Amino acid sequence: MSNRKWPLMLRNVLLLALALLFLIPFYISIVYSLKSREEITASGIRFPSVFHWENYSRAMEISNFGHALKNSSIVTLVVTVVLLIVCSMASYIIARNSRNRFYNSVYYVFLAAVLIPFQVIMLPLYINLKDWGLLNTLGGLSLALIAFQIPYNIFVMTGFIKSVPRDLEEAAYIDGAGAYRTFWSVIFPVLKPITSTTFILNALAAWNDFQTSLIVVQKEAVRTLPLTQFYFIGQYSVEVNLAFAAFTLSVIPVLIFYFAAQRYIIGGMMGGAVKG
Amino acid sequence: MALAKHRIKRELIKLSFLIPAVLFFVVIIVLPFVKGLSYSFTDWDGISESRNFIGFKNYSLLFQDHNLLKPLKNTLFFWVVTLIGTNGIGLMMALAVNGSGRFNRALRTVFFLPFVLSLVLVAFLWTYLYSEILYPYFGVKSLLGNPHTVMWGISIMAIWKDAGYCMVIYLAALQLVPAEYYEAAKVEGAGLFRRFISVTLPMIVPALTANITLLTGWGLKVFDYPMTATGGGPGNASETLAIYVYNYTFPYNQAGYGQAAAIMLLVLVFAITAVVAGLLRRKEVEM
Repeated sequence: MSNRKWPLMLRNVLLLALALLFLIPFYISIVYSLKSREEITASGIRFPSVFHWENYSRAMEISNFGHALKNSSIVTLVVTVVLLIVCSMASYIIARNSRNRFYNSVYYVFLAAVLIPFQVIMLPLYINLKDWGLLNTLGGLSLALIAFQIPYNIFVMTGFIKSVPRDLEEAAYIDGAGAYRTFWSVIFPVLKPITSTTFILNALAAWNDFQTSLIVVQKEAVRTLPLTQFYFIGQYSVEVNLAFAAFTLSVIPVLIFYFAAQRYIIGGMMGGAVKG
Repeated sequence: MALAKHRIKRELIKLSFLIPAVLFFVVIIVLPFVKGLSYSFTDWDGISESRNFIGFKNYSLLFQDHNLLKPLKNTLFFWVVTLIGTNGIGLMMALAVNGSGRFNRALRTVFFLPFVLSLVLVAFLWTYLYSEILYPYFGVKSLLGNPHTVMWGISIMAIWKDAGYCMVIYLAALQLVPAEYYEAAKVEGAGLFRRFISVTLPMIVPALTANITLLTGWGLKVFDYPMTATGGGPGNASETLAIYVYNYTFPYNQAGYGQAAAIMLLVLVFAITAVVAGLLRRKEVEM
């Protein structure tokens, strides 16, 4: 081997080691989730001799997994779709009127709002939702999650739209199309690189949310996945295998989503992130 | 007249694009914010019908509360450690996998993987890694069980989760560095370190700014990790400001006081972010 290849080899070995460090937790969860409690004590992280699939069915049953999965799916769908429509429209009009004092100040209000800690509105929001009968409903949770994602979405999307040339929409206006038609048929499709990225980040935020759910949906019937896991872990912390089965179960949908959409996630973030 | 009417119509159509987003924002965030501000001047417990206006008493109590020091210290500790750790590791990973080819792409996918997990899951996973793996196999006592190390334990989880995110932002910036710059630096005899300082670093300052601003927000507002991993314990050794607010508002039923603490948290987040962003902007201009 030539002298020049050694550093490269070393680099690759180090990187593989680091990659392992990132993957080992997933390996451990799968192995633990498939063992009996006795076997975990006896053989630790070694590959299981018998697959105890029943851990999964028990974990699903005890943690009410199907129900939580349904709740999380509904909330995530509603939040992402509403944000996509509402924020792309608002960002477009803000980006195209950036010299207008009104639209510009709206933009800066959103920019500042990115920083607001949830705790500041936690109690008043809780009381409002209670008064409106929206506490412990998926609708109430969706509303709260939508509102908290709006500032970040507008910040990122407005930055992107400013770089979209105006020629396209001007041509449409000349052809006599109204503002709405121009937006939906000409502008919206061009925004795909940024909307697909924000869509994914919004989906992750809604799917993974903990602190808003902890306040808004405390009743078991409306709990989402992270909240269900939080309570499940609290109650079954001794039954490590069940806890890991519940963990693995809830990771699977996210991983499927991640591997299916990763071109948009990493690619999209690399494309749009720094410009904004 | 017709012209004015036409103009008004045009302005209304423009507004209609903005209104849905603003409506959500005002109803869910702005109005509750104003309401919350008014709570902070009362002695309300959060449940009963009556509440009395007590002026700035909650705020002056806050500044005298010695129990606030620990959460404040923990929050600042978490912010600084995760800011340095996540950025440092994220940048190193970005430099290492900045290239085309399958190997690099696969590594990027792996490094970003933890970012898609929920904070609850990450906290849960690491709690077990500390107690079930690191202790029996390596003899390292769980960092979470000891008041002196618990914040390190929590910071490590956060770095593991978010380093991949920083990596992606750095990669975005690195791809904009023209290859000729490196060639030119090489011709002039610049070593690896020299090239990093004078070619790479100036080009990734915007990414650095983005990451530092973001991690400042995340760090100062941290709630999920300590809440799930330790519940703020042992004792209050890992209590953060966000947990402090939560505890006073809900379990302790001192809503007025909790709300005042929340407002202070908001002021702290804005002040620190403004200072950090200001410093970074000055650096950007210098570069």
